Amino acid sequence: MGDLVDSMLDLMRRLPPTRTEQNVNALISICPDYADELLGSVDQPLQVRTDRATGREYLICDYNRDGDSYRSPWSNEYDPPLEDGTIPTPKLRKIEVSANEAFDTYREMYFEGGVSSCYLWELDDGGFAGVVLMKKTLSPSVPSEPAGSWDSIHVFEVAERGRSAHYKLTSTVMLNLVNRLSGEMEAGPDGKGEGWKHNGDVTLSGSMTRQTEQDWPVHDQQSHICNTGRMIEEMEIKMRNLLQEVYFGKTRDVVYDLRSVDDLEKARRQKELQKELVGFIKR
Amino acid sequence: MDSKERIETAAAFLLQAPPGEINDVLNDVRTIISDDELLQDGVYPALRDYNLAQFIVVEVPGVQHQAIISEAARAPESTEDGPERFVDPRSKSTYQFDHLTLEASDPQPVEVDSDSEPLRAALESSALKYIHAHFQEGVASVFSSTKANQYTIQIVSNKYNPTNYWSGRWRSEYLVNLSDNKIEGKILINVHYYEQGNVQLATTHTLNLKVPTAVVTAAPPASASKILALIEDAEGKYQSTLQGTYTTMSEKTYKNLRRALPLTRQKMDWDKVLGYRLGAELNSSKGMFSNSAATAAAAEDDE
Repeated sequence: MGDLVDSMLDLMRRLPPTRTEQNVNALISICPDYADELLGSVDQPLQVRTDRATGREYLICDYNRDGDSYRSPWSNEYDPPLEDGTIPTPKLRKIEVSANEAFDTYREMYFEGGVSSCYLWELDDGGFAGVVLMKKTLSPSVPSEPAGSWDSIHVFEVAERGRSAHYKLTSTVMLNLVNRLSGEMEAGPDGKGEGWKHNGDVTLSGSMTRQTEQDWPVHDQQSHICNTGRMIEEMEIKMRNLLQEVYFGKTRDVVYDLRSVDDLEKARRQKELQKELVGFIKR
Repeated sequence: MDSKERIETAAAFLLQAPPGEINDVLNDVRTIISDDELLQDGVYPALRDYNLAQFIVVEVPGVQHQAIISEAARAPESTEDGPERFVDPRSKSTYQFDHLTLEASDPQPVEVDSDSEPLRAALESSALKYIHAHFQEGVASVFSSTKANQYTIQIVSNKYNPTNYWSGRWRSEYLVNLSDNKIEGKILINVHYYEQGNVQLATTHTLNLKVPTAVVTAAPPASASKILALIEDAEGKYQSTLQGTYTTMSEKTYKNLRRALPLTRQKMDWDKVLGYRLGAELNSSKGMFSNSAATAAAAEDDE
């Protein structure tokens, strides 16, 4: 039933990113058999939990879930507690601890707030894989201030090849910006006349996914953190710029395609006049 | 999930369809529900709701212009028993509309209210002039109301460009109430850009305009042209406000979420970050670590 999954994914690419969670849940209730496939292919905004042992916040996703419990990267404990929850091997956990510290520094430098989490797991072929999660939410203290959220999910696979390793990275960024506008404006083309009241909001939301594969030298186990760190940093910078320049820029351009600020009729007349002038000069 | 719930869910998906993508969404929903019989009967009301809310444009039979399908366009004589009809005041006719094929049929002449028609016609002609000046593909309809001195002006502009993965819709509606000297308006914009991603702009905007008494009492053509001038001004101002919002969002909000680069204006030095950590660990565990990265990082720290 590839068609069915394709249709679900196509649908998710068309419906508003602001409603991803509700829509994924609705799809799962229609086709419960495809829940795992759907949850595995559609990224959703991340949820924040608090580690009971350390009080630190962490992010949850499918990769740190076991049954109904989620593992904290800080204490390595499951919540609700699990007797035999899956945890990384001691060797991998050591890398995971360092990675969480490193990406926490990264988070502070780029996000100046928010929450980050990193989870690692073994792969059957001897390599390992991981996910790095970042979330930042702007909650305005007054309604007139802009609100927004950034969620990024970076899933990577590591295959060691002697003194180097091959990395496969899939990154998704989900973004939501909301601006409320309200106030009074002067009325009339001449600015005279009685004022008019207006209010409304502008929501700009989006999600995009990109992939890259790279080889990097490996000196020791910590090298994997530097290597994936650089790749994730590079990717986030690229995606941040893409969203700002290409995606937001495009939606703004389309608004101007829909309605022209300048009088099109004047422009049409100007063009006619220009044609006449050119004709006149040529003569 | 029973079939009623499945249809309700399908309907909810349809109502979220971006401009010009209702057929794509319907196709997806069709595969997902995989019960055409159930879908066909159940989903028609949702398509109708979508068409009315989105100001879907229809080719009126027998005339050379387009009209808007909306709540305001419902013919007042539409009874519960008979098929629903929509009115095109410009051609003074009503027609039936198929919400699935988007085709109009069975046009019938309709009698107009002679009291409201002069100003309605004047508003229509000013509105058409206005959309000609600001919308490349705009459609406008002006409806009179059963209530005296009340008119509804609706404007829609669509641009669909699936080849380049984008579509957009501008809707605006103005309830002109000359008894109360006011215009209540709303502007809604939706844009979808989906080349290797899914980015959407959705705006809602409501506004209240006061109509000077001199405008209300003027002859229909003068009054209508003043009213459309007020609307043109309001929409122009809204568009420049929107430009300002874009600037704020991209320069301030976006930066507050995630900086383009750290304060240092340099990318992160990963070796160093790990080095510090390892260095700290090295000190606390008195040299239990002896791998090369730790030594190298420690050496770097000493520099």
